[in-house]
Amino acid sequence: MASPHSHPPDDRHLCSDHGGEYPTVWDLPHVPLGLKQEWLGLETRRHFLGQGVKALGWAGLATLLGRSAPKLLANTAPVRGPALSPHFAPKAKRAIYLFMAGSPSQFETWDYKPALADMFNHDLPESVRGGQTLTGMTASQARFPIAPSIYKFAQHGKSGRWVSELFPHTAKLSDDLCVLKSLHTDAINHEPAILQLTTGNMFPGRPSIGSWLSYGLGAANEELPTFVVMTSKMPHRTNVQALSNRLWSSGFLSPEHAAVTLRAGNDPVLFLNNPSGVESDLRRTMIDGVNDLNRQLFDRVGDPEINARISQYEMAFRMQTSVPELADFSNEPPSTWELYGPRAKEPGTFAYNCLMARRLAERGVLCTQIFLRSWDQHTNLPKNIRLMAEDSDQPTYALVTDLKRRGLLDDTLVIWGGEFGRTVYSQGTLSAATYGRDHHPRCFSMWMAGGGVKPGIAYGETDDFSYNIVKDPVHIRDLHATILNQFGLDHTKLTFKHQGLDQKLTGVVPAKVIHDILA
Amino acid sequence: MRRFTFFGISALSLLAILVQLGCGTNQVPTSHAKVGATAIPPASLRVPPAIGAKLSFNEHIQPILAENCYACHGTDPSSRKAELRLDRAEHAFKKRDKGGPAIIPGQPDKSPLVGRIESKDPKEVMPPPEAHKTLKPAAIALLRRWIAEGAEYQEHWAFIAPLRPALPEISSAANPVDRLVLARLAAEKITPSPEADRPTLLRRVSYDLTGLPPTPAEAEAFLADAAPGAYERVVDRLLASSRYGEHRARYWLDYVRYADTHGIHFDNYRAIWPYRDYVIRAFNQNKAFDRFVREQLAGDLLPARTLDELAATGLIRCNLTTNEGGTISEEVFVNQTRDRVEAFGVTFLGLTTGCAACHDHKFDPFSQRDFYGLAAFLNNTVEKPWDLNIAEPAPVLRLPTPENTTAAELLFGERAVTQEKIQLRRARAQELTAAWLAAGNRPKPVATANLELRLKLDEGKGDVLKNSAPAAKIATFKAETNPLVWGENTWLWPAMRMDILTRITLGDSGDVEADEAFSAGSWIMLRANPGGGVRTGTGNGTLLARMGDAKRRGGAGWDISQSGMRIIVSLTPGAAPATSPGAGEEAAKANTVAVAAETDPASPAAALVVPEPPPRGLQIATKLGQVTRDEWRHVFVTYDGSRHASGIKIYLDGKLAETEVRADALTPQDSIRTDAAMHLGRRDDFNPMRETRFQDMRFYRRHLTPAEVARLPFEDLAAEIVAREPSPAKWSTDEGFLVMDRFFLGEIDPEIRGLSAALAEQNASFEKLTKEGTATLIAAEKETPAFSDILKRGDYFARGERVEPAVPHFLNGLPAGTPRNRRGLAEWLVAPAQPLMARVTVNRMWQELFGRGLVESAGDFGIMGDRPSHPQLLDWLAVEFRESGWDVKKFYRMLVTSATYRQTAAASSAALTRDPSNRLLARGPRFRMDAEMLRDSALATAGLLVKKIGGPPVKPYQPPGIWEEVAMPESNTKTYVPDKGDGLYRRSVYTFWKRASAPASLETFDATSREVACTRRARTNTPLQAFVTMNDPQWVEAARKLAERAVKASPTTEQRLDFLARVTLARPLVAKETAVLTRTANEFGTKLATREKDAKALIAIGESPADATIPVTELAQWTLVASQFLNLDEFLTK
Repeated sequence: MASPHSHPPDDRHLCSDHGGEYPTVWDLPHVPLGLKQEWLGLETRRHFLGQGVKALGWAGLATLLGRSAPKLLANTAPVRGPALSPHFAPKAKRAIYLFMAGSPSQFETWDYKPALADMFNHDLPESVRGGQTLTGMTASQARFPIAPSIYKFAQHGKSGRWVSELFPHTAKLSDDLCVLKSLHTDAINHEPAILQLTTGNMFPGRPSIGSWLSYGLGAANEELPTFVVMTSKMPHRTNVQALSNRLWSSGFLSPEHAAVTLRAGNDPVLFLNNPSGVESDLRRTMIDGVNDLNRQLFDRVGDPEINARISQYEMAFRMQTSVPELADFSNEPPSTWELYGPRAKEPGTFAYNCLMARRLAERGVLCTQIFLRSWDQHTNLPKNIRLMAEDSDQPTYALVTDLKRRGLLDDTLVIWGGEFGRTVYSQGTLSAATYGRDHHPRCFSMWMAGGGVKPGIAYGETDDFSYNIVKDPVHIRDLHATILNQFGLDHTKLTFKHQGLDQKLTGVVPAKVIHDILA
Repeated sequence: MRRFTFFGISALSLLAILVQLGCGTNQVPTSHAKVGATAIPPASLRVPPAIGAKLSFNEHIQPILAENCYACHGTDPSSRKAELRLDRAEHAFKKRDKGGPAIIPGQPDKSPLVGRIESKDPKEVMPPPEAHKTLKPAAIALLRRWIAEGAEYQEHWAFIAPLRPALPEISSAANPVDRLVLARLAAEKITPSPEADRPTLLRRVSYDLTGLPPTPAEAEAFLADAAPGAYERVVDRLLASSRYGEHRARYWLDYVRYADTHGIHFDNYRAIWPYRDYVIRAFNQNKAFDRFVREQLAGDLLPARTLDELAATGLIRCNLTTNEGGTISEEVFVNQTRDRVEAFGVTFLGLTTGCAACHDHKFDPFSQRDFYGLAAFLNNTVEKPWDLNIAEPAPVLRLPTPENTTAAELLFGERAVTQEKIQLRRARAQELTAAWLAAGNRPKPVATANLELRLKLDEGKGDVLKNSAPAAKIATFKAETNPLVWGENTWLWPAMRMDILTRITLGDSGDVEADEAFSAGSWIMLRANPGGGVRTGTGNGTLLARMGDAKRRGGAGWDISQSGMRIIVSLTPGAAPATSPGAGEEAAKANTVAVAAETDPASPAAALVVPEPPPRGLQIATKLGQVTRDEWRHVFVTYDGSRHASGIKIYLDGKLAETEVRADALTPQDSIRTDAAMHLGRRDDFNPMRETRFQDMRFYRRHLTPAEVARLPFEDLAAEIVAREPSPAKWSTDEGFLVMDRFFLGEIDPEIRGLSAALAEQNASFEKLTKEGTATLIAAEKETPAFSDILKRGDYFARGERVEPAVPHFLNGLPAGTPRNRRGLAEWLVAPAQPLMARVTVNRMWQELFGRGLVESAGDFGIMGDRPSHPQLLDWLAVEFRESGWDVKKFYRMLVTSATYRQTAAASSAALTRDPSNRLLARGPRFRMDAEMLRDSALATAGLLVKKIGGPPVKPYQPPGIWEEVAMPESNTKTYVPDKGDGLYRRSVYTFWKRASAPASLETFDATSREVACTRRARTNTPLQAFVTMNDPQWVEAARKLAERAVKASPTTEQRLDFLARVTLARPLVAKETAVLTRTANEFGTKLATREKDAKALIAIGESPADATIPVTELAQWTLVASQFLNLDEFLTK
């Protein structure tokens, strides 16, 4: 029998709505006792119960009270109760998604096509392209000359995985990675494609993967955000595509599920630090005064929102310690710097962000997404992809290795990849030394590691031109279903009522979990 | 997993269940009532419906059916199972092919529906297990009872036009709002709250009407005004303030997703802020709301008499746009239309229309056809899909500088008169054409003699093209490689577009020698230049040719190409180049230079285009400035067989084009014959033209006279139509457009010609007058008939049936006599029979003041939306608003002067428990203010707020790098550079809104990115918000300036605290508060006394200089005290 529940007003139809479920303080398993008592000791007990956690703002309370206050999987109406558990036992407790924005070519990375070497500068057979509509960029080309990878591949590890010479470090992870070669998507241009990968839909307004996870599982750390995004400095500034806040927005879910952007520099969280000249003791005094007055106000007005605000100021004060501690790398041992390389000391680099991701993982942050741009190599691919690989290879290797050494990889799902693939034919002039590749939605490669995914395997196959998938296609929505699955979430049940529909990350077209890649 | 509602639907049903279980009627449980094993939450009192003797379909049954059944048994045929529809009586009671009716009224036991929902067999039970829906016993009981009572269906409440309900007789209340609210409270046996104290009330109403706090002087004046009507006088003062319009506009801009950037990819700046200023002005002028709607939706069709009416159409342009290289313009066009329809649906109708882009709505009767019917109203505007990454993608209105405004307005008025005359004349097109024909006139055809090829290209589908020339050698041609794309665009008829790489071989046609005359051409729409994008092709190529490459008889043949915005006609001999001294070489040089200069500058891919060979034989080219892209042009070439360049003529739209000769060297021996096949859109071996549209392509083996060519674009086609069907009334839309609009009005009617000339002159004068003016994006209607195609699954490639503009079939029809364009759409919205717009609008106005609407789901009045808490009040307000002449200020005045609004927000715990979200309105509204109100309040209390109205967007403080993190390097909104001076302190409604990175501090307080229409913001409460109000330089500086005011105003701590309270809270402090604040102020003072450096650092924050007359540590101390005030819940809350 559940304790008396409260049902806050249903705010379903906001553009960015509150979650559909509101656990009460009773439902949160790891609420610090003192705090519970503080709440319950208030003469507002009944108000509080009446208003439920909504009064606090959900993420706020989750971070405040719940070490793991999993929000429940709402179906239609608010769903809740003491049995706060995912749909089934999760394999992954956190995700780190290394988003290679702009889309690295599969030919120079993970989809080894030796047969192409003999077809240099041959025309792509019409039958392979099959009347496909191309982008406006190669549309004007008179011919479509085949461009084999200029980079060599070698086999690595017990799995004998073929890895491009561009990734000497990642190659060492061969037996840890599950490489998917048969991803495909619906969009042929960046903006819709990247939005589809991050939110499941090509149009703005939908929640991102991290927001869905936050909504579904709640916070595991009381003093850090649930969903963190970092953008990375780029080693060079060619082939750069746009990002936007909509890639990590909460869409129609409550804004509390949107990512918090961790920024390079002194204020990793926006306006985290006190103004110059305000030491912590002054801030403490200031907040004490504010909260004191707020309590007086509460006595007069009785609005539970006032209590919520009091708590949020306390929370903010604590974050002023916890976040700088997070960003303080001084206690990292020398081995860290050997592993990640010297650039990891420079805030905002991809290496720095990877190290930060590990620190976030250690602290239980649910979803960390790192964006690295400039993979959009329409021209000068050989030169530019090498620069990008050099920047990203070692930190990527370091992150996975570090997680493994710390025993975190087993329940951390690491994902690496872009928003689509690239064409086998050269965009622009093909020469022995250089070429470019246009967008290609029909197939591309990604990899995953940890989080209950089978290590050392490859999944899916493409034809000799890596143009079409010949075996085991994986649509974006299948990828999303699989990711949710690893967190113990059934993608058909993780829903939120919006515009009268049970909205899902995977949308309306049926999606499938790729069970073959799961350990 | 446990649920705590019964069957996952609204609380309506909960209450109904309670009724059934004897919990009383019209009485909401005040404790945690329990039914079975499930606790009933107290907040379930959401929307208790009136329970009569009989269940109501709308209130009790539809919610259950919608939630559990409609996904498979609703309006959408594509997902319908077992041929069963449960949303309408005629379907539910109908016998089906497989089985009888699902519902037999009056006989629950015989109704298969009941059997299925009560079944325990997983194969039988409904909803099926895989639907993850379970009907609870209470819901089943309700359905049973409803069927037993006769299973009476009802139309959804929101789709029936509101009628003004009778007001309950309540002697104590004069305001109709109060009478309806009190009647409801009385029924619930709840006592309303007393009026809030004067400071609270003043603060509330000041914020609600102006978005700003009252000044201490205003507070004192109000307190001192003991005469009756003091409050009403305050309301009138506030309504008269210019701040009122700014505040109201801020909400509206959310509803219509106004922003200062394109939104996608480059996310560049775009010029549309004059639209924002229009909205502010409209509210301040108290423009009637119906006019406000008309102007925004259709200002260009009114016709606009004032600049404002045209600037208003910026609404149509608020959608996101893109210029991403590689996108397909038609896809972009379709997406933008979809965005418009969705935003229109949410904002004006309170309907969620988006799903119907792909399939019929599953819950509302809104069909896919309805979606595309609305789309046809909204997509017939002239702007191009690609925005070119520029600030001013046409059409724009240039606003005159102040000194020219009077002249421009005058001219505008005159122009409107001309436009109106044109519209009236056009409206009579059918009558006039019929009269002209009746007088014996006929359009004159062009003789079909020697017409070898005529591809009308009107097949509409497939890849087989019919040759309709009377003496056709070859009857059909087949398009190869990539499929043809049909119907995206209409001109003479729905048009064909070649896809990338489409090849249309015309076989052995067009085989002529240089001494044979021929004439050839087509209606053509050159591919839009995906402007400015790097790595994009230029779209040069061959339109029509019989010519091969050099290997094919030395490249002999004839060719009509487009290159560098010229049309070039070549007759090339197969032998070695003829050497007419000078001409060839010079022309070659000229050609190279010309192409280089004319090629789209941002297109390195120019290298990919096959370079033009130096001209040999004959070549002429149109001079620059005549050829255009992305619009229909009739391009026609005649050659007289003279072997001289002078024998070639190029016509554009039937008129001789200006040309220059590039080569004129063809000897009598030269042959241009070739074995290469004739092609549309390319030469046999190369020079393909991509994504070009063609209609009515012809090849004559004779020399057409200029008079004949002049008739080709329209008259010849009109002649064909009239010959077949002389009665205008019987023409199709396309035929009528062609004969009446293009031919009769365009070429015959003298009056229209005169008016058009006058209009052109007025436009030119206006352009001259406003050349230096600020541009703003506006809407302009295309001349071609409006249409949209039903897209299967929403795919822009999968075109289905073509539909003309139409309003949703289940709502009121277009009022008689209104045109089927945006003007008609606006008239439809404001018609008395329209059930939604007035309700949706008054509901949002209510929401702005009370924090939530009478219908909570402000953007969804459909079947899955929330039911109104006070249906009668909502209808009364809707009718009142309309019948008041859509008087917006009067409406707000009525709301804020109601006793309902004036109640205190303080609540007892019993009241909170009973009605936590105040749905019954037994107390006043109290909620955290929106982001903009907070920032503006901080600035106002600091005395920093700059009160200038309007103008370009401004950039207040934001941390460095905030845009770079996401922007493309090429974007002109890549780097955020805060303004200096006034720009830092303007009201937030003027803050630059970049969609990819909305103002961060505002976003922290739930402001949206303005990518999709938002009719209701979230209201969260997070620690990140505390960081903004404590640490954002904007707030720190405001605290310091506020501190300066306090320190200078009063000598003692107590007085200063009192000053701060009066400025920020509009009230004096109570002793208990003063004690706390004195203690903390002293603590700040003591600590800072030894930290002068810190104190200096703190007061140095912000652009404004610190008051040097105040000691540094004292100012720092009071900055912290002021900051405390700015962080109080009371300050952040209205």
